[in-house]
Amino acid sequence: MKSNNSILNLRQKLDNKEVSSLDLFTEASNKAHMYQDDYNLFVTIMDEKIEQESNSILAGIPYALKDNISTKGILTTASSNLLKDYVPVYDATVYEKLKNAGAVLVGKTTLDELAMGGTGTTAHTGLVRNPWDKTRQIGGSSSGSAGVVCLDIVPYAIGSDTGDSIRKPAAYAGVVGFKPTYGLISRYGLFAFASSLDHVGVLARSVRDVSLVTDVIKGHDPKDMTSLASDNIIFSDNLDKDISGKKLFYIKEICDYNTSNDEESKAVLDNFFDVVKKVEALGASVCEVSIDKDLLNAIYPTYMSISCAEATSNNANLVGIHFGNRLGKDSIEDIMFETRTQGFSELIKRRFVLGSYILQKENQEKLYLNACRIRRLLVEKLTSLFMEYDGLIMPASGGIAPKFDQKSDKLSDKYLLLENHLALANFGGFPSITIPSGFVNKMPVGVNITSGVKKDLELLNIANKIEEKLGYKDMIVGEDNV
Amino acid sequence: MIEKDKLKEYARKLMFDMEESEYDTLQEEFSIILKQMELIEKIENISLVEPMSYPFMLDDVVLRDDTVNNELSTHDLLLNADEVENNQIVVPKVVE
Repeated sequence: MKSNNSILNLRQKLDNKEVSSLDLFTEASNKAHMYQDDYNLFVTIMDEKIEQESNSILAGIPYALKDNISTKGILTTASSNLLKDYVPVYDATVYEKLKNAGAVLVGKTTLDELAMGGTGTTAHTGLVRNPWDKTRQIGGSSSGSAGVVCLDIVPYAIGSDTGDSIRKPAAYAGVVGFKPTYGLISRYGLFAFASSLDHVGVLARSVRDVSLVTDVIKGHDPKDMTSLASDNIIFSDNLDKDISGKKLFYIKEICDYNTSNDEESKAVLDNFFDVVKKVEALGASVCEVSIDKDLLNAIYPTYMSISCAEATSNNANLVGIHFGNRLGKDSIEDIMFETRTQGFSELIKRRFVLGSYILQKENQEKLYLNACRIRRLLVEKLTSLFMEYDGLIMPASGGIAPKFDQKSDKLSDKYLLLENHLALANFGGFPSITIPSGFVNKMPVGVNITSGVKKDLELLNIANKIEEKLGYKDMIVGEDNV
Repeated sequence: MIEKDKLKEYARKLMFDMEESEYDTLQEEFSIILKQMELIEKIENISLVEPMSYPFMLDDVVLRDDTVNNELSTHDLLLNADEVENNQIVVPKVVE
């Protein structure tokens, strides 16, 4: 099933006065309420339309924002019990830019608590269900942001991505998920998870729509010293160039049928190699490249080490004194202890303990610094490949969206490679996009394309042409897709 | 395998506690991640590599002048506190 609600279509309808922004907001809000009990996509659904006057392409068009992005005066919980009543007193830059562009916020979307996790099962408001199959996860941590796009509630939603938190749920939901180069979109007002890996990005139903939104929200921000200047780049103007002659590669060791130990992951690889053929039909080349398997096997432990270490430190401010759901009363220590004991879910606590252990003086060299060394080796390897190739193309996941009882966020030593390679793009700050590529067992799957730092323009062009060839643009949940 | 008491000590340093069964899961996770980290140590000459703590070098970062900007009012800052008195956050007595 296809949606007619692309950003350009809605813009045209608004400009032609076929609809008003209030009509669009009311329709989106009604849909949001209608689906809420079934899928739990929102933490907050806005009661009223707030819209600033603007000539932007996004003016009057509804969207949703992940609930770990600060919105002044609007509840922002990061889906954590500890922050269940927290109302920010300032706006994140990404929200400010969208407000100034006249975009209309429909609601704040559910995430894995504090954006840590990839299952959509740890939000304080309950499980997020996959609209393609309610018995399955939608992935995470941008769970609700993926769901609201595949259900056609809004044309786009903002997410955040520290390991794969936009690009994996996008694959499970059959939508496009884009995380640009590190710093291209300001992180000011995004609740920090692991600052050296955190990115703000966009989920939508087409490469064109993620490009149009990125054009509005990107840019240098004096409030985020890691943000990049990109004033003279317009992504949406560069999407239609011919990509014949472009050189892509995939990593042999990750796409090896011998390492996929079930039928489902084999079907995912079949889908991927079909995509490769279609990319080649566009005149681009796709080469097989080999990377040291020991290094690749280190992706997941490296990610866990760095992200948990940074997260432990970043979230030390959640103590219930200045803000947060205060519990305990006997002493300041009692308040902090009870607030954190009851405020965090099990997964968060496990990750914090891991992070704290890694940062202990006696473990730092072996656990934290070694992970940072692996990070360098991996990033340098990919950077050198991006000198030769225009992009890395890979399956976005090792399988379809898991059933709720099938996968947890407990560390596992299975499926390490095919399931966890997307974190590579976070290690190096590389721009990376997932686009839908078909179905396995009636569930959507996707391919991921990653390019060199600041090559977002070229990446979006390649992704757009591949998307055209694959034919899953503007897809929404519906039987006739499968 | 890391001792459970050690994990409890780390959790308490982080100002929280966990259920007994949660420590069991954590203990299991630790054995997996430590095993995986051991693989990292085996990578040739790993100790010679300079650790990377940031995705890439930023060549155009200019530190702003050290002037006050982006201020929040006291009123706003206290909005999320549990109990406020005379512009201060109320907490239990530290000294009796």
